[in-house]
Amino acid sequence: MFERLPVPAQFDRLIVAGGIVTGVILGPVFLVLLSLLLVGRISAPELVFWLGFTVIVIGALGTVLLPNIVHAAFALIAALLGVAAMYLLLASEFLALVQVLVYGGGVVLLIIFALMMTNAQDDPIVTDGSQKPFAFIVTLLFGAVLVAAAINIQWGAESVSLITFRDFGARLFHDFMVPVIIVGVLLDIALSGAIVNARPNIDEHSEETAQ
Amino acid sequence: MGMEHVWILPAIPMAVFVLLGLFNGYIPRRGDFIAVLGMSLVVLLVGLVLLDFQGSFSDHEFHPAVGANTYAFDWLNIGNGFFVIEFSTYVDAITMVMLPVVSFVALMVLVYSIGYMHGENRYGWYFATLSFFVAAMLLLVISGNLLQLYLAWEGVGLASYLLIGFYWERQSAAEAAKKAFITTRVGDVGLLIGIILLWKATGTFDIQELISAAQAGAFSETYLTISLIFLFLGAVGKSAQFPLHVWLPDAMEGPTPVSALIHAATMVVAGVYLIARMLPMYELAPIAQDVVLYTGLITALMAATMGLVASDIKRVLAFSTVSQLGFMFVALGVGAVTAAMFHLFTHAFFKSLLFLGSGSVIHATEQQEVEGLGGLRKKMPITAATFIIGSLALAGIPIFAGFFSKDEILHALMDSGPSWAYMVLAGTALLTAIYSTRLVLLTFFGETRNTESYSHAHESPRIMTVPLCILAVLATVSGFFAIDQVGKLLGFEGGIGYLVYPVGGHPHEFKLYVLFATVATITALVGLLIGWIYWHGNAQRANAAKEWAPELHQLLVRRYYMDELYQGIINRVILGAAAVVAWFDKRVVNETGVDGGAQLINFLGWRLKFTQTGRIPNYVLAMAVGVLAVIIVAVSNS
Amino acid sequence: MIPLENFLILSGFLFAVGLYGVLARRSAILILMSVELMLAGVAINFAAFAAYLDADGFSGLIFALFVITVAAAEVGLALGIVLRLFRERRTSYVDAANTLKW
Repeated sequence: MFERLPVPAQFDRLIVAGGIVTGVILGPVFLVLLSLLLVGRISAPELVFWLGFTVIVIGALGTVLLPNIVHAAFALIAALLGVAAMYLLLASEFLALVQVLVYGGGVVLLIIFALMMTNAQDDPIVTDGSQKPFAFIVTLLFGAVLVAAAINIQWGAESVSLITFRDFGARLFHDFMVPVIIVGVLLDIALSGAIVNARPNIDEHSEETAQ
Repeated sequence: MGMEHVWILPAIPMAVFVLLGLFNGYIPRRGDFIAVLGMSLVVLLVGLVLLDFQGSFSDHEFHPAVGANTYAFDWLNIGNGFFVIEFSTYVDAITMVMLPVVSFVALMVLVYSIGYMHGENRYGWYFATLSFFVAAMLLLVISGNLLQLYLAWEGVGLASYLLIGFYWERQSAAEAAKKAFITTRVGDVGLLIGIILLWKATGTFDIQELISAAQAGAFSETYLTISLIFLFLGAVGKSAQFPLHVWLPDAMEGPTPVSALIHAATMVVAGVYLIARMLPMYELAPIAQDVVLYTGLITALMAATMGLVASDIKRVLAFSTVSQLGFMFVALGVGAVTAAMFHLFTHAFFKSLLFLGSGSVIHATEQQEVEGLGGLRKKMPITAATFIIGSLALAGIPIFAGFFSKDEILHALMDSGPSWAYMVLAGTALLTAIYSTRLVLLTFFGETRNTESYSHAHESPRIMTVPLCILAVLATVSGFFAIDQVGKLLGFEGGIGYLVYPVGGHPHEFKLYVLFATVATITALVGLLIGWIYWHGNAQRANAAKEWAPELHQLLVRRYYMDELYQGIINRVILGAAAVVAWFDKRVVNETGVDGGAQLINFLGWRLKFTQTGRIPNYVLAMAVGVLAVIIVAVSNS
Repeated sequence: MIPLENFLILSGFLFAVGLYGVLARRSAILILMSVELMLAGVAINFAAFAAYLDADGFSGLIFALFVITVAAAEVGLALGIVLRLFRERRTSYVDAANTLKW
């Protein structure tokens, strides 16, 4: 049974390559951070933050730079898991769990399915468009503006307080009941739209017979 | 019916017009009897108004019981009283001269038309249009304000256009209608400018208010002179005065009864009526009044000379009309409103009589050129007799109407005008006698020059001759209204001279100066004699005169080359200017402005369309740049 | 205590990198993935502000939750469109869908 559904050979190489990259890049970073923690220069949350920061940066850059789509998809998984860690640090366990479940479990799986279904052989190798230099400049400026804005402003920060699942759920369905329902409707519509879009043309057949 | 209800008068023929214009096909006899009955009703009501007017006339003064100026309603009120157009009627002696003339001549013409237009195409439409004309004309003479008058003025112009072009299948008729309309339009623009100028200075259109404002010194003299000359331009166009007289001879393309009603008795005297109505203002602007005087003088002389040589029987009468209108303007020019209105009154009767008589001739012989007529008095005795009466009235032979009124004008001119002007006008009166004699001789006496049409000529049916006879009687007796005893008999003490005089002026007492009347009579008789010598028999002397001075003859036949002059001006100046404007329009406005803009857009579109690559990343990039720009602007502003 | 600026810089970085991916990539699937990165950056921003600046600390989280939800819906719908595009054009490159050009 498993022979009939072979895991693509790519995936083997991916797992190996991923392990190597993780070991080579994250290992030293983790060691440095750990030593800093032990010396007492940083706290435990800061260790988590910088580790997650490294994962996100590597994952995001991998997503947008890797020429192979499958590699990019796996890099995206790493980045999104890093984001889940950030949610933990921001005192919302629920969001972290949703992030892992929805992205790691749903979205990325969908993307990989789509990859497999559209794996056209005649696609050109180059996956980057001709406007890459402009994109780079614009993006650089955009990022610079955002970072400058973040640094420039004095944020009167308050202490982070954890919100429990019970509180979250109670308030979500109490204060935001209508938006939740609307989001449910939205999801329903999206589902219907996806089905209508993805299924084969019903008219195609009748058009052919008409011709 | 009192004077305050005169608005009913134009309403009746208007109703007839609507009825006949829409439904004449469904009415027996195409509804001609409705038009005649309606007009009879109007004549009856005019009689009632006359009685009411006479009741308020005592001690040579007009004392209106109800108020001569009746405001029916506010037609338009813009800006809460800033710009008010009223529908108002005004009745005074001048109106009371016009109303019987218009309604009675219209009734005669309508009755006559039943015979004349018998069997024509568009028979019902003819009566409808004629009713429309009468409605507009009645509205014109009862208007209490200038804007309402202008509306009626254009209404009669429209009716004139429609009726001149009644036989529009004929090229010449269509062109004559167009010419009449456009030529009078030149004057109408002047009239409108004059009305606006007067309104601008006083803020009112009401004629009596304007007059009292002018007498109170609301205008500077220059302003008043300019406004009144513009106003007079309208009268020049409508009354066919020099230099806008060219349309009236061509207007004879219309049916002859139309010429009798519109182009002899009523519409063309609208200009005289207007100036007579505004005369108290002209008295304050001597230059404007002189313009009226000399325009009338030139017109009277020119038209009379042209009438001498015209060969079409109706055109002779048309030139005669223009000339007689010139007489009236001369009277107005020296301030003799009584004389002018009196001449208008008598002229309406004898000139419509002459036109209807000529119509009778044309109806019988189907000939209009005097070359094709002659000797008709044996075949058409009634027409000939009435025509001769009309001609004698026109020539100014005593006891006939024209004698009294023309004498009044000449007398007024001698009293208060330059003496050379009197000489000119007396000479014109002589010419008048000459050409009336010529017309009668060539039409009704001598040997016939066209035996074929002569042979089947016959007297017109009674429905045509009866109006002729009635008008002939009026052409004889209407002059007697000037005499004191006649006026007293009818309730106008002192005759027409006491009836018609300007507001605040002095009544004009009619006196028959024996010496003066003798001179005038001798003039008229000399004219008759000259006419007889030249044109009796086979008109050998007239032909000899033609041989003797062919250039002069040609000048008169070609009407002083005025038409050619206008055509030349139109060709050279107006069409030249039009060509420049057309060039500007074509090259600059159209090709550079309109097309140029379109081509620029087209070019840019052709170039810039390539930014629409259809590739989503390009669009997203543009969007990102835009968002970035907005952020930068927002940040740098805060 | 991690300063708020760290999170903001991280979210800005994620957003910018995602934008780069959207602009520079040709494959529709890669563009979708880049959009996910942008959304993640925004969601982090919401959560950070909620945690640090809002005494209640709740509304921002709700927004982040909705962002995640809408992102999931968007991916589902967009992948349907990608499949459609692939079926019509035999490719998943967005350059292929250029019928709307001049």
